[in-house]
Amino acid sequence: MTLDKHEKPGEGSAVDPEEAAAIQRMKQYPFLAHCSDIVLRKLLPNLIEKPFVAGETILRAGGYSDAAHYLAQGVVAVRMSIIETGRPPVAAPPADTRSFSGTTRAVLSRTSAEDVVQRGGIGANGEVLVTDVSTDLSPNLDVLLQAGDVFGEMSALSRYPVSADVVAQTDVTCLLIRTPALRMMFKQKELADFKRMIDERYRSRTLANQLRSVELFAGLDEESIAELQAVADLTSYEPGAVIVEEGAPADAFYLVRGGFVKVAVRAGAGDAAVSYLRRGDHAGEIALLLDRTWPVSLHAIEHVEMVKIGREHFQKVLARYPDVQQMVWESAVARLKERGRVVREPLTARYLQLAMDTGLIHGESVLLIDLSTCTRCDDCVRACSDTHGGTPRFVREGTKFRRWSVPQACYQCTDPVCMIGCPTGAISRPLGTLEVTINKDTCIGCHNCSKRCPWDNIVDVPFHSPTLGRDIELATKCDLCLGRPQGPACVQMCPHGSAVRISFKDPALVGRTLSEDAS
Amino acid sequence: MAPSPFAPKRPVWMRSTIAIAVLSIVVYAVWREASPWSPGGVGGLTFGTLAAAIFILDALYPLRRRLMAWPLGTAQRWLQFHLYGGVLACLFVALHTGFRVPSGAMGWSLSLLTAWATMSGLGGVWLQKYVPAKLTNDLSVEAIYERIPEIAGRLQREADSLVVGAPEVLQRFYTTTIRDDLDRLKPSWAHLGGVRAELARRVAPFQGLEAFLSPEDRVRLDGLQSIVTEKLELEVQYSLQRLLKQWVVFHVIPCMALLALLVVHIAAVLAF
Repeated sequence: MTLDKHEKPGEGSAVDPEEAAAIQRMKQYPFLAHCSDIVLRKLLPNLIEKPFVAGETILRAGGYSDAAHYLAQGVVAVRMSIIETGRPPVAAPPADTRSFSGTTRAVLSRTSAEDVVQRGGIGANGEVLVTDVSTDLSPNLDVLLQAGDVFGEMSALSRYPVSADVVAQTDVTCLLIRTPALRMMFKQKELADFKRMIDERYRSRTLANQLRSVELFAGLDEESIAELQAVADLTSYEPGAVIVEEGAPADAFYLVRGGFVKVAVRAGAGDAAVSYLRRGDHAGEIALLLDRTWPVSLHAIEHVEMVKIGREHFQKVLARYPDVQQMVWESAVARLKERGRVVREPLTARYLQLAMDTGLIHGESVLLIDLSTCTRCDDCVRACSDTHGGTPRFVREGTKFRRWSVPQACYQCTDPVCMIGCPTGAISRPLGTLEVTINKDTCIGCHNCSKRCPWDNIVDVPFHSPTLGRDIELATKCDLCLGRPQGPACVQMCPHGSAVRISFKDPALVGRTLSEDAS
Repeated sequence: MAPSPFAPKRPVWMRSTIAIAVLSIVVYAVWREASPWSPGGVGGLTFGTLAAAIFILDALYPLRRRLMAWPLGTAQRWLQFHLYGGVLACLFVALHTGFRVPSGAMGWSLSLLTAWATMSGLGGVWLQKYVPAKLTNDLSVEAIYERIPEIAGRLQREADSLVVGAPEVLQRFYTTTIRDDLDRLKPSWAHLGGVRAELARRVAPFQGLEAFLSPEDRVRLDGLQSIVTEKLELEVQYSLQRLLKQWVVFHVIPCMALLALLVVHIAAVLAF
C-alpha cells in the first residue's frame, strides 16, 4: 500500500493490515474510488457492508434509519405496501367515546398495537411524506432498484420516517453509510461528486413535495415550483453555527429540512430566544418582503439541513402571487406580536431557551406536572401502572423548572432516534401519529433503543419471554396509552388537573403555556 | 402574577353549587311558610334522600381511584363532585332536620359525624391547595416521598466524607453541631408555617467559622452548608408530603362511621 500524499510521515506504518484491507475494499465502490486513505480511515467506523437475504426487509415504512444504503449487489424492491392494503391511516382505533358502553367496550377490547402501527403513505394529519428512494412510487406497484442505486439517505439526513418498504428481491449486499459518515463526506472536496449526486436526487425527487408542504407555496403552480426547485441551494450547518446574523441584509428565504434552529434577538450582551424552527418551518420571507435586514439571528442547535432560496428568485415568485404576499403580511403581524410578547415577558424566552437546552423541543407530547397544584398522590403513576398490566411506563421523578416538573416519560420525539437500528422492528411509530410504541412480542431485549434514547426515557424491565424460553429485559416506555380512547391515563386520572401533555411543536404556545401565571 | 392556590379550579362547579344551595334554601323557606316542616315530611324526606344519595356517591370516589383503567370519567370531575357534593349534602342534612338541634344519640351522632366529615374534607381541600404551592415556591428541592429517607442518608454519607481529613476545628463543629441535624429525618408540622426561620437557625452556626479555616477548608464548609440546607428542604418535603398523605385518615374514619350510621338510620326509618 502506498502512502497517501496527505498522510503524515510515519502514519502509514501505524495502519493495521485489517484496516488497510478495509480501505482498499471501500475503494472498490465507485464513489469512494478517488477518496484519500486518510479520509477513508475517518469514515471507516461508519461504513458497514451488510448482506441481506432474498425476501428480507431492509427498510420498513414508518421506521427511521441512520444510514444511506448504497446497493452494491443484487436487486431490491421498493413498495408502498401500506397504501396497497387500503387501510385508513388513522392513529387511534375507532371507538364511540361519547357513550359509557362505547368506552367500556373499547377498553375491554383494547386494540392491539399491531393494528395501528407500521402504517405508511399519507399521514393522518394529511402531511405529505416525502419518499427517500430514487424513483417515483405508485401504490400496488413494486419498483426495482439495481446495483449502484442509493436509498434511505433522506431518512438518515433529515430524519424523515422511511416512506416505503424496501425488500431484498435477491441476495443483496449494501454499503451502509451512517449519518456521521454522510455528513463528513459532504464536507470533503474530493467527494464533491457524491454530495452533488445526493443533492440532485433530493432536488429532483423530494424538494418539490417539500416546497408544496410549506403553506406559502401550497398554491403555487407547477412552473413556479419547478423554478424554485431549480434555484434552491441545499446547505448544511454544524451545531452552534450562525446561519444568519441579526442586522445582516436579508439575502434568502430559508426552509428547514432537518434539525432544529434557534431564533434569537439581541438582548443586552447576550441574546434572547424568541422561538425555534424545526423541520418544515421557514424564515426570511418577511425581511425579504419588506426589503429589510434580518430582525433576528438564526443559530443551528444541532446538525441542520436547510433549503435556501435567494432573494431575487423568492421575490420574483412572490410578485406573481398577491395571495402569498398577503399571507406573508399576516404572518409578519403575528410574528411581531409574538416577538413583542417575548420582549415584554422575559420568562417566555427563558422557558424557550430551557426547552432548547434540555432537548424538550424534540417532544411531540411531553408530560409536565404543575407542582404548585400537584399533591404528590402518585395517582398518575398508579393509573399508568394499571393501564399497562402493573408496570408503570414513567417515573414521576424528573427535572424541576420553577413550578413545572418534567417526569422521566417518553417525549415522543419528532425524530425518534430510539427507532434506529431496532433489529426486529419492535419499536415503531405509525406514520402521522405521535406514539412510539414497543411491541413486547417481538422485542428481544437488546437494549438498542434504551441506549439510544438521549433522555433515558426507555427503561428495561425483567420479563419472561415465552418465545425465547428465558428471562430477558424488555424495553418499555410510555406509549401515550395507545388504544385507550380517553387518552393517556396519567393525565386523565390526575385528580387535580396537574398533569398535562404538551407538544413542543409550536414554540409560541409552549412559551405561553409554561410562563402563564408563573410566579 | 401567580394565581391564588385557593382560586377554584373549575369555577362552574362552584357557581352551580351556590345556585343549588340558594335554590334549596328558598324552597325550604317557602315550604316551611306554607306548612309545618318535619324530617319525615315530603320536603324533609326529599332533602334527606338527596343527602344520603350524595353521601353514597361521594363514598364511591376512593373506589374510582382503585379502578384507574376504567372509563368512568376523569378523576378531576369525580373529585369536584366529591367536594361540592359533600358541601351540598351537609346543607341538605341541615334542611332535612329543619335546622333543629338534634334529639337523641342517633341524631346527635349523625349530625356531629356529618359536620366532622365536612369540616375534615374542607380542611383537606385547604391542605391540598396550600401545601403544594408552599413546596413549590419555598423549596428548590423536589423529591418523591418514598425516596426521601434514602436521599437523606446519601446526604449524610456525603457530609461524613467531606470532613474526612478536615482540620480538627471543622471536624468538631461537624460532630457537635451539624451531625445531629443530618442524622435522621425529623418531620414536623411546624414547617407548615414556613421554612425560613428554621433555615436561619440551622445555618447560623456556620457564620464566623470561616475566619478559622483555610481557603480549601472554606470550600468544605460551603459544601457542608449546602448539604444542611438541602437536608432541611428534604425534611420539609417529607413533613408536608406526609401531612398530605395522613390527613385523609381524619376524613375517612368519620365518613365510614357516618355511612354505617346512615344505613342504620334509613333501616330504622323504613322499619318504624
